[in-house]
Amino acid sequence: MIVASYRSEWVKLKRKSLLLSTFLGLAAASSLFVLLIFSNATAHGSGGGLPSLQQLARPNGLVFGLTRATFLLGVVAFGTAAAQTASEYSLGTLRQLLVRQPRRVTLLTGKMLAVITFMVLATAFAAVVAFLVANVMAQSRGVSTSAWFTGTGLEDLLKALGNIELAVIGYSILGLVIGQFLRSAVAAVIVGFAWLLVIEQFILTRIVPSAAPWLPGISLSTIAGGGNSDFGITYSHGLVVAAVYIGVAIAAAWITFARRDVTA
Amino acid sequence: MTVTAVTRRTGEPPGSLLAVSTDGLTKRFGDRTVVDGVDLAIPRGSVCGFVGPNGAGKTTTIRMLLGLIRPTAGRGSILGGSLTDPASYLHKVGALIESPAFYPQLSGRDNLKSLARLGRIPAAAIDPALERTGMTARAGDKYRSYSLGMKQRLGIAAALLPAPELLILDEPANGLDPGGIVEMRGLIRSFADDGITVLVSSHLISEIEQVCDHIVMIRGGRLVHQGPVAELAARRRPDIVVAPEHAADLGQLARILEVSGLSVAASQADGTAVVPASGVSAADLNRLAARGGITLRQISERTHSLEDLFFELTGANAAMSPGQEMGAIR
Repeated sequence: MIVASYRSEWVKLKRKSLLLSTFLGLAAASSLFVLLIFSNATAHGSGGGLPSLQQLARPNGLVFGLTRATFLLGVVAFGTAAAQTASEYSLGTLRQLLVRQPRRVTLLTGKMLAVITFMVLATAFAAVVAFLVANVMAQSRGVSTSAWFTGTGLEDLLKALGNIELAVIGYSILGLVIGQFLRSAVAAVIVGFAWLLVIEQFILTRIVPSAAPWLPGISLSTIAGGGNSDFGITYSHGLVVAAVYIGVAIAAAWITFARRDVTA
Repeated sequence: MTVTAVTRRTGEPPGSLLAVSTDGLTKRFGDRTVVDGVDLAIPRGSVCGFVGPNGAGKTTTIRMLLGLIRPTAGRGSILGGSLTDPASYLHKVGALIESPAFYPQLSGRDNLKSLARLGRIPAAAIDPALERTGMTARAGDKYRSYSLGMKQRLGIAAALLPAPELLILDEPANGLDPGGIVEMRGLIRSFADDGITVLVSSHLISEIEQVCDHIVMIRGGRLVHQGPVAELAARRRPDIVVAPEHAADLGQLARILEVSGLSVAASQADGTAVVPASGVSAADLNRLAARGGITLRQISERTHSLEDLFFELTGANAAMSPGQEMGAIR
């Protein structure tokens, strides 16, 4: 049943316009970060928080650009996912879907899994393109890439990619849930961005500065970065807090979706 | 309220004579009661018209039948499945609810493919559905490029995907030009020929009259009548309208007819008297008028439409519910 919902959602997700805009958009955004990091890197020391050319030559040098691009990847994942659920209300297609699959939790779960798969694949594609760009940029800036392809380098790469994918999954689920609650893609994106970009910062700077380890956005960025040295949050703490937020969000989405009258 | 023709049978077992039966189906949104204790009894194999003015509660009732809206009270059975478990019957139901809703960026065929996959319907069902609705040639085009008529037809194609036993069409003629309406009528008839029960809602009673053999009338959320169209048609006894040559003779003419035992409704405004045609002919009326020294300038028969009956049954002109559009019926 969930498989049927999953396969149905893919008919929509694999349309050319969405596929190209998401995959190429994410690839371009992450490549841009790589370009900026390599272009602005100085020979030694870190300028303005950017790694030096020396640091880029280390085994984990390959993942710098992509890790920095995670927030952007998350924002795109959030917006894309929110649009997928909210548009079912605005287009009125939800009523068609529910006639063919009246088990609502099954429908929503299949849909969520499809969108998450889509975003994971898009992120993986962006990572591959960013790595290719990093190799080209390393050549042009004279950075040795031999350490990147050692066992340690590849392990760092896979670990970083896994963390980024986990964060993207988190952003996608939050987008799906908020889109489901608000039933408007635009409203969902505004609320999501406002929370991540403004409200969390406001809470930290004006209300409860010690709240950082308990905020969802910071927890997701902690996962993406493999830990958060700025706030002193460990990777495992970020993982647990994000899992709690996401678990509660999914449960709330299931309950409201199952009970809500469909009048759209 | 008049409920006729079909005895209420709720909780019908599979194989019952009724495709849809409900008992006290009610929906309230806050303090507002949109559907109020509706008892439906729709025979299997019928083409049932579901009529009422805009805002009468038709779409809310249909949404409850399809599991989209949870009833506040009441129970029901659809194709033998309980209304509380839509999954038990929706695989045998096709529906077009209000305006067709599809993904604009996908082609008609891909839209159907998405729905077929969701309902675990074989992809082989798509082409026959497209063909039946005349959409094969444009199936590869994006939905957003379709005309309103094509969108409606794709909506019907989607409803046909599960090879339904019950087809629920909510205002399928909405926005169609006269040619499209005729085409839609033909399609609905062809479904009936295949033995599919069709529940078709409309605010245009004349449309329903032409295609349905059973009718459910609803107003202000309440059922006002249900039964075979033929039974309703039998109640449409014609009137004879007579008008004296001189308007001043109208009163005298009415008295002459009343003395003869006829029921007369005289209207000074248009100078006519209306007499029910039962047991009296136009020649009889002419003769009575002539005997009283009155020359008639008009003797004509007037047949009541289903719309007239609707108003008669609902007392609509006397007690209109707020928010209802009589113009839609007229």
